[in-house]
Amino acid sequence: MSQIYKREMVFIVTGVVALVMMLDYFFGKNIPGISGAGNISSTLQTWALIIQLMAIGLGAINLIQVHYRQISRKTNMAVYSAWFMGFFALLLLLGFYKLATGVELYPYTWIFKNVYVSLGTTLYAITGFYIFSAAYRAFRARNIDAAILLIGGIFVLLANAPIGEVIWGGFPLIGNWFNNVGQVPGMRTFTVVGALGLLAFGFRALIGKERGFYSEVQ
Amino acid sequence: MIGNIAVAYPTDPLAIAGLWIALFLMLAIYSYPLWKENPVYRFAEHTFIAAALAIGIIVNLTSLMNTAVTPLMSGNLLMIIPILLGFCMYFLLVPKQRWVSRYPIAILVGSSLGLGIASNPLPSIVNQIISTVTPPKAGTAVWAMFPGAPTGDWFSFAFVAIGCLCATTYFLLTYEHIGPVKPVTIAGRYFIMLALGAYFGNTVLFRFSMLAERGKYLLQVLGLVPL
Amino acid sequence: MSGQNIWDKLQNVDRRVFYWILFVALTVPFLSPIGLPITITPSSQAFYDGIKTIEKGEVVVLSINSGVSAWGDCLPAMVASVHKVYDQGGKLIVWSIGYTDVDITWAKIKEKLPDVFSKWKEGEDYVYFGYSPPQETNVALLRDNIRAIYPKDVRGVATDQIPLMKDINGANKIKFVLSSDTGDAQMYYVRQWKNGPVNYEKTEKPPTVAELGIAMNKSGDMAYFLSGDLFGLVAGSRGAAELEALTGYKGDATITMDSISVSHILLVLAIILTNISMFATRGNKK
Repeated sequence: MSQIYKREMVFIVTGVVALVMMLDYFFGKNIPGISGAGNISSTLQTWALIIQLMAIGLGAINLIQVHYRQISRKTNMAVYSAWFMGFFALLLLLGFYKLATGVELYPYTWIFKNVYVSLGTTLYAITGFYIFSAAYRAFRARNIDAAILLIGGIFVLLANAPIGEVIWGGFPLIGNWFNNVGQVPGMRTFTVVGALGLLAFGFRALIGKERGFYSEVQ
Repeated sequence: MIGNIAVAYPTDPLAIAGLWIALFLMLAIYSYPLWKENPVYRFAEHTFIAAALAIGIIVNLTSLMNTAVTPLMSGNLLMIIPILLGFCMYFLLVPKQRWVSRYPIAILVGSSLGLGIASNPLPSIVNQIISTVTPPKAGTAVWAMFPGAPTGDWFSFAFVAIGCLCATTYFLLTYEHIGPVKPVTIAGRYFIMLALGAYFGNTVLFRFSMLAERGKYLLQVLGLVPL
Repeated sequence: MSGQNIWDKLQNVDRRVFYWILFVALTVPFLSPIGLPITITPSSQAFYDGIKTIEKGEVVVLSINSGVSAWGDCLPAMVASVHKVYDQGGKLIVWSIGYTDVDITWAKIKEKLPDVFSKWKEGEDYVYFGYSPPQETNVALLRDNIRAIYPKDVRGVATDQIPLMKDINGANKIKFVLSSDTGDAQMYYVRQWKNGPVNYEKTEKPPTVAELGIAMNKSGDMAYFLSGDLFGLVAGSRGAAELEALTGYKGDATITMDSISVSHILLVLAIILTNISMFATRGNKK
C-alpha cells in the first residue's frame, strides 16, 4: 500500500496527462475546458515546459561533481577541471548580471561570439575528418549489399557536388533520382515502422509496462 | 547580391583579438585530428563545455523568468505548482527520495506520449501509405528519372511501391524468412542499402560543409577572403 | 613490412595524411571561387514556388531549430528565404525551439541582410522572440497560445503591445512555417500545426510547413515531401545554393560549392582507390 504513491500513482498521472493530450487533439473543440488557451491541455503543456526549463540544473550539478572530484583527487586532469570551474563561474556571473539587470555586458557578448561560436562550430565540424578516413578504410564493396550502398553513395555524392555534372551529365540525373525516389522505399519504411513502434511503446508506457523512465527505488 | 556584402575587417583591438582567439581555439581543436591529443586541445574542449553549460543555464533561466516567474509575480498563483514540480526533479540526486522526481517526469512523459500517440499516425503512417499507393500525376518532376519521358513517372512509382513492400517485409520479424518470403526480404534489404547509401552521400555533404565553413573562417581571419 | 606492395601500403596510410589533404582541399577553393552551374532539384523548386505565393501582409514563421554548428548548411537558406519574404511583402515572426545560440544566428542573418533590415521595422514587419525549450508540447502550446511562451519579445516589449502580434496568438493566422532544422522539429510543426488537432475552425487554413535543414534531412524528409506534409525541402548547402540561384541572391552556399566539389571528388577517388586495392590484395591473400 505504501508503495502506491511511489509507483502506481505515477503511472496514473502519466496516463491522465497523456489522455488529456489525446482528447485535446481529437475532440478538443467538442469537450469544454480541454482545449484552447488557458484550459487543461494548455495548462499541462505549460507545466511540462516549465519543468523542462528547470531540469537543466541537473546536468550542471553532475558536471560540477565530476570536475570537483578531479580537482580534489589531484588527478592529471585537475588543472583542466579547475579551468572549467573558473570559466564556468565567470560566465555564469556575467549571465546572472544580464538576467538581473537586463543589460548584456561586453565581455559576455565577446565570449559568446568569439569563444562559444568558434568552439561550437569547430567541434561539430571535426566529424568531417572522421567520415573521410572511415569511408577510405571501410567503404568497400565486399558483397552485393555493400556494393549497392557504395553505388548509391557515390552517385549522390556526385549529384550534390556541382562538378559531378561537369564530369558526366548522368551523375546528377541518376544521383538526384536516388535522392528523390531511390531512397524513398527505405526511408519511408523506417518512418512507418518507427511510427508503429512508437505507438506500441506509447501504449505500453500508458498501461505501466514500460518502467524505463522512472528510476527504481531501492 | 547578398553573399558578397563583405563585412569590413574590424579595427577595434578587442574585436580583432576576438577573431584571432576564435581562430586559435579552432586550431586548438583541430590539433587533435591533425596531429595528436595534446594539452591545448584539452584546454579548448573544457572551455567549450564550460561556455555551453553556462550559456544554456542563462538562456533557460531567462525563458523560465518569462514563462513562470513573471506570471507568478503578476498574480497567477497556479505557477507555483510547476515550479515546485521542477524542484522535485532534483530529488533524482537523493537516492532514498528519488521517487519524488517521478511526478514531474510523469508529466513530461505523459505530455510527450499523448501528443506523439495522437499526432504521429497521420503523417508517419497514413499519409505515407496513401502516397505510396497514389500514382503520380503525369510529368511530376520529382518522380521523373528522365525529365519529359512519359514512362519515367510510372517507373518511379512502381519502384517506390514495390520497394516499400519489400523493405517492410524485411522488418517483419515474427516469422522466419524462408520459402517464397526470402527473395522478397533480400530485395527489401537491397532497397534499404540504397537508402543508406544515399543517406551517406547526404551526411558527407553536411559534414564537409561544416568543415568548409571553418576553412573559410581561417582565410577570413588571415584577411585572404572578405569577412 | 618488406613484403608489402603499393596496395598494402595504401591501405595502411596514416589517417592524418587524409585529414590534412581534406582540410587543404576544403580551404583553398575559397581563394578563387569558380562558380560551377547548379541544377535545381524539384524539392528546392517547390519551396521557391511556395514562398512566391506569399502576399503582402501575410505572416510567416521562421523557426530557427539549428545551432551555430549548422551554419554552413542552414544559414544561407535562411538568409535567402528571409530576403524573399521581404521581397514578397510578407511579415516575419522568428523564434527557436531548443537552441540556446539562436540570438547569434539571428544577429548573423540581420548582418547578412542590411538592405532588408534597414527598411523593415521591428514590431511591425518582423518580431524576434528568441529561445524556447526543445519539446513537441512547446510547439503544441504555441499553436494555441503564443503569449504563454513568449509574453514579451527579446527587447522586453510585451507581446500584446507589438503591432504585428495584435491579431495573432496561435497558428491560425500564419501562412507558412519555415523550419530550419538539424533534427526533426519540422515534424512537430507538421503534427501539431498542419495536421491537427482537428479543432481548427472549418474556415481556417492551417499553416503549411517547409524545411530548411541540414543535408541529412533530405533523406529523412523526402518521404514527407512526397506525401505532401512538407511543401518544400531545402536541404544542405547544396539546397541552399539552389535556393540562392532561384532567388537571384548568390551568397555563402554558392561560394561553398567549389569547396564541396573538390572534397567530394577527393572522397570518391579515395573510395575508388580503396576498392581497387581491396580487389588487388584479395588475390595475394588467397
